[in-house]
Amino acid sequence: MAPGTFLRGFVALVAILLSASSVAAAETPKRGGVLRVGNLGEPPALDAHWTTASITETLTNHVYEGLYSLDASNRPTPMLAESHTVSKDGLTYTFKLRQGIKFHNGKEMTSEDVVPSLARWGKQSIYGKALFAQVADWRAVDTYTVEMKLKEKSAIVLISLAVPNNFGAIYPKEIAEKFPPEVKATEWVGTGPFKLAEWKPDQYIRMVRFDEYRSRNEQPNGYGGGKTAWLDEIRWIPVPEVATRVAQVETGELEFADDLNLDAYERLKKNPNARTIISKPYYWLVAVFNKKEGLMTNAKLRQAWQAAIDIEPIMKNVAGGHAEFYRMDSSLAPVEIAAWHTKLAGLPWNEHNREKARRLMKEAGYKSEPIRFMTTQEYKWMYDFALLTKQQLEDVGFTIDLQVVDWATLVKRRNNPKEYDAFTTGIGAAYDPTHHVYLTASWPGWTTDEDIGRLQAELARETDPKKRMALWEMQTRQFYEKVPVIRYGDLFGLRAMRTSMKGFNEKTERIRFYNVWLDK
Amino acid sequence: MTAYLIRRILALVPVLAVVVSVAFLLIHLIPGDPVSVMLGPDATPAQIQAARHALGLDRPLPEQLLKFYARVLRGDLGRSYFLDRPVTQALLERAEPTLVLTLSALLVAIVIGVPSGIVAAAQPGSLWDRTLMLAALLGVCVPGFWLSLNFIYLFAVRLGWLPAAGYASIFVDPVAALRYMVLPAVSLGFSQSALIARISRSCMLEALQQDYIRTARAKGLSHATVTWVHAFRNALVPVVTVIGITMAILIGGAVVTEIVFNIPGLGRLIISAVLRRDYPVVQGVILATATAYVLINLGVDMLYVFIDPRIRYE
Repeated sequence: MAPGTFLRGFVALVAILLSASSVAAAETPKRGGVLRVGNLGEPPALDAHWTTASITETLTNHVYEGLYSLDASNRPTPMLAESHTVSKDGLTYTFKLRQGIKFHNGKEMTSEDVVPSLARWGKQSIYGKALFAQVADWRAVDTYTVEMKLKEKSAIVLISLAVPNNFGAIYPKEIAEKFPPEVKATEWVGTGPFKLAEWKPDQYIRMVRFDEYRSRNEQPNGYGGGKTAWLDEIRWIPVPEVATRVAQVETGELEFADDLNLDAYERLKKNPNARTIISKPYYWLVAVFNKKEGLMTNAKLRQAWQAAIDIEPIMKNVAGGHAEFYRMDSSLAPVEIAAWHTKLAGLPWNEHNREKARRLMKEAGYKSEPIRFMTTQEYKWMYDFALLTKQQLEDVGFTIDLQVVDWATLVKRRNNPKEYDAFTTGIGAAYDPTHHVYLTASWPGWTTDEDIGRLQAELARETDPKKRMALWEMQTRQFYEKVPVIRYGDLFGLRAMRTSMKGFNEKTERIRFYNVWLDK
Repeated sequence: MTAYLIRRILALVPVLAVVVSVAFLLIHLIPGDPVSVMLGPDATPAQIQAARHALGLDRPLPEQLLKFYARVLRGDLGRSYFLDRPVTQALLERAEPTLVLTLSALLVAIVIGVPSGIVAAAQPGSLWDRTLMLAALLGVCVPGFWLSLNFIYLFAVRLGWLPAAGYASIFVDPVAALRYMVLPAVSLGFSQSALIARISRSCMLEALQQDYIRTARAKGLSHATVTWVHAFRNALVPVVTVIGITMAILIGGAVVTEIVFNIPGLGRLIISAVLRRDYPVVQGVILATATAYVLINLGVDMLYVFIDPRIRYE
């Protein structure tokens, strides 16, 4: 051994040990701290059963839990349920509940709470109603066992109990029974890792760690698995002005901000203290047709619209020219919902075939009557894609009457078949083929087509995954033939966090701050 | 004077009645529905109908208006659909930030506006005059939104001297309150100072050309005494009027500043209430700001008596 070699080896060894320990230190979560999150505005309610508003979904999932949750591949995984069994005929589901789970008020969660909570959810939530339409009996067997008897075989029991939006949160019996389903609950007690401490509208919502929270033993997995509240407090601060949200992440006044404008992307990327996150799937852009009254009841005209549009330039423009923020895909379920993502060839999606469009318009007997297309500037991406669509459609001979209104007006008017022919919105992740609202007769636009309805009903009954996928592929082909709505590309969102924030799961569609900690 | 005051206060009633009715009709006549906003994008028509019924929104409009009058007469402005609290409580919570912002912006506007107007008037046509009036013109022209965002970028993001946005109560943490208030007060006060500067200048110019000024100068009084005691006091009435109007505008109209700097005041409240169609809150904020507006005007009229002893109210 040459002199010095040992020394060099020793130094290298020490260096390795040091760096390894510093990595380990950086990876060891720390307890404590206040996480400040800038969000768009006020939630309309903190009653998870009551509204589908996404801000309510995000907030309530920190306070409440359901029997099931979604794992990283968006499949059901148990949360408050310990396990379940299905009878041989597939008509009885028996759920074992976890024991020793405490509500924030100190009471233990039992079947006494689960039964009225999900009964209430089954009357108000869109997912709950769909499930309970199939339920014949729903009762407690003993303190830790509940039983659901079905009228017919169902494929949607677990997934309905697992969806995070408008979800089957378990409330204490007293609250579930006190507030009728159509009245929003104004007392908030759950079993989640954080409990609500204070709500000052337009100023903040404070959630503090629930010290008696009993985590599952599994590793964190998607929205499910183990949850640890490292933070003392999450403070949700409504910051309606997007430029202000960006600035406050830059200055460190906020640790996290969501729904940022894509034009802030480059600036945030250059900031050494900030980290940008591209949130997927966010939305696929959609033009929804009024199929109850007016011009667009004519399927040929809807097909003409589908044939005419050239989607890529529209998406590129809406994404501010950033290729990272959009994706061209014809599948009705986004890639992130791996179980239902389809890869079908030969669909009439993104054809930009003007000849075909003109021929279909002629066959539809269309004579340049104005088509009322409703959009809003409150969401810039909706307005941008409506405007570009109008240009493209007018190039082939459509007359588009673009009606720009505020969002509150749009969501009101879209329920009235006399007021529009098409409107813009976004379609978020749907975790099951039966959760695609635009394929239902009750959602604005009214897809009452019998063939579509029949396949939806079959999908709700069929429990064999392979057969369900075949049905879903059939439904996708049918979608492109009947064109109840127009599927544009996937648009992604921009969020940003301070680099001092650790342990954040960047993969989930909606933000969750359990398992997150601050390195300060 | 007392009789005049009583008459003026009684005259408030019809003004507010008209304001209340117009506010009610305007907000109900624009399309949109609070329930659709609250229940979220995927609510079914049946759910919407049930919730509309629970809020009494399915009743005929005249019936709703009458009920609204009856409540207002009892001092009850109703309950916010969205915020789960009485409107009066929501207004009181938002009053402090708006008042603090209004008063600090007004202070900035006066401190910048009045001296610039006087200095400009003292030497009309001079370089000072032209520079100050150009600045005032810019103050009027530059959109408050743009100015605020640039202030945030410069002083908070680049220099890190002040926080970008937020609010702290002066009663809880005066130092933090001051740090939060500097940027909004300066950006709002700067735009408002422009009008005050221009009015001060023209009133001073007019006053300085009066005969009594020449007399005062002839008596050998100092330049400062002539300017401040003789000319300024006489120029003050229109200046006070403009300051009063500015204050009234700020109370109801600091909307953009409140949103950009995320100050939880009345301006932000009314914008979010309009977007959510939270009818009781919209009506409540309009009623409150209209009352403040009328009372400020009354206060300004009363101030005239002290500024100009020639003014008497019978």
